[in-house]
Amino acid sequence: MVVTILLAAALMLGLALLFTITLGVAKVRLHVEVDPRIEQINEAVPGANCGGCGFAGCASFARAVVQGKAPANGCPVGGPETAASIAKIMGIELSASHPLQPVVRCQARQTDRLGRAAYNSIGTCAEANVVAGLQACTYGCLGFEDCFNVCRYDAITMVDGLPVIDYEKCTNCGACSKACPREIIARVPFSSDTMYAVACSNRDPGRAMKKICKVGCIACGACAKAAGEMFEVENNLAELDYQAYEKGDPAVAAEKCPTKVILPFGPHKI
Amino acid sequence: MIAELMLILLTAVLINNPVLYYFLGLCPYLGVSNKVDMALGMGMAVTFVMTVAASLTWVVNNLIIFYLNAGYGIDLGFLRYTIFIFVIAGTVQLVEMFLRKFFPHLYDRFGIFLPLITTNCAILGCCLWIDVKGYNLVAGQEGVAASWKFAQALLFGIGNGLGFTLAICLMAGIRERLNFSDVPRDFRGVGITLIVAAILAMAFMGFSGIGG
Repeated sequence: MVVTILLAAALMLGLALLFTITLGVAKVRLHVEVDPRIEQINEAVPGANCGGCGFAGCASFARAVVQGKAPANGCPVGGPETAASIAKIMGIELSASHPLQPVVRCQARQTDRLGRAAYNSIGTCAEANVVAGLQACTYGCLGFEDCFNVCRYDAITMVDGLPVIDYEKCTNCGACSKACPREIIARVPFSSDTMYAVACSNRDPGRAMKKICKVGCIACGACAKAAGEMFEVENNLAELDYQAYEKGDPAVAAEKCPTKVILPFGPHKI
Repeated sequence: MIAELMLILLTAVLINNPVLYYFLGLCPYLGVSNKVDMALGMGMAVTFVMTVAASLTWVVNNLIIFYLNAGYGIDLGFLRYTIFIFVIAGTVQLVEMFLRKFFPHLYDRFGIFLPLITTNCAILGCCLWIDVKGYNLVAGQEGVAASWKFAQALLFGIGNGLGFTLAICLMAGIRERLNFSDVPRDFRGVGITLIVAAILAMAFMGFSGIGG
């Protein structure tokens, strides 16, 4: 009996010793330099590996933060406290996060639109969008009020078949943006009360676009010349880079735009 | 002899599949089966750990525990579970360091699942099944060479790992397709995954009775 106990203890001890030495040697031999901040951030986040940040797990998120691919406030579960501690580890100032508010990226009112086919049905944008050739502009607002119907806060009014957002009532829920089958209602970070946006979604070449719509973007690039880095013409459409919003003056670009498609959005000017 | 070893391998892969027949290792099976390439990586890691763990535990089990029992009549069989878990945990640690050093990309992809292999019941199950399957040395059968028994155990370990890989890759393939299919709302997510797992297991039931 005593022998069995002693042998069992000796066996376990021997194995423990063996593994300790093996793992110890392996740790030295297979050592990898890791940024200590990754480990610190990994400890600062909740550690639930929920994937809410868009990364595979908390460890991937920590790595992405250190590599600069994710913002310090990228963890939605941890909230401001986690964001503050991550910012402290990274040694950066936490930039205030701006609410994503909707902007309507089309300004063709009912009278501006060129219809191509008659359409008589229940009349929703989602259904009408399936009908090819219903409207000449395949990117623009259809005006069947899907966004208006889905808004629970009465923040959308339809003016001449085009949604107009009441920013006082809007809660930034994003329901309208999801409801729009043509992704015309974009959500942009409002870093100031009034934000400019390109009120056109048409990606047809300038000439083709001009034939079907009088108020669309012709991709001339005047905005990019006037306001520099913040505008970029891509796929026949001017895009506003909201990350670079501070680098230029969008009001100047709006002035220069020949079709007046760059509009201010916000509670004060609509 | 070769034929017998191949039979052990095939049996472990298809008929006594750890996931689809014994329902072991279900958490990585459901957790890492979103993408085929990731599932393949996980399967490879499990195969590797399983092979190493099966051979190491066989060595400890037979060269120490069996030897003490047969030679001196001291039965340390009660230590088997503890030793197995100990060996598996140590091996996984080693694999983790190895991957981190030489295959950092794979290491990134595994994320939290690599440490989970430690507690993967399929691996402990494989080590314990070796005993049930009779690949251990048995007192009174001294005529059978230890190397032959070891080869059997080793192939059983590899086969189990490949079986896990097969099961998880099949599952991942189906789940990739499922993303594009119209699943009823209440079944989406875990529900349909478990139903698919059950159907797969039933399909594999067709193999039962062919081999060991």
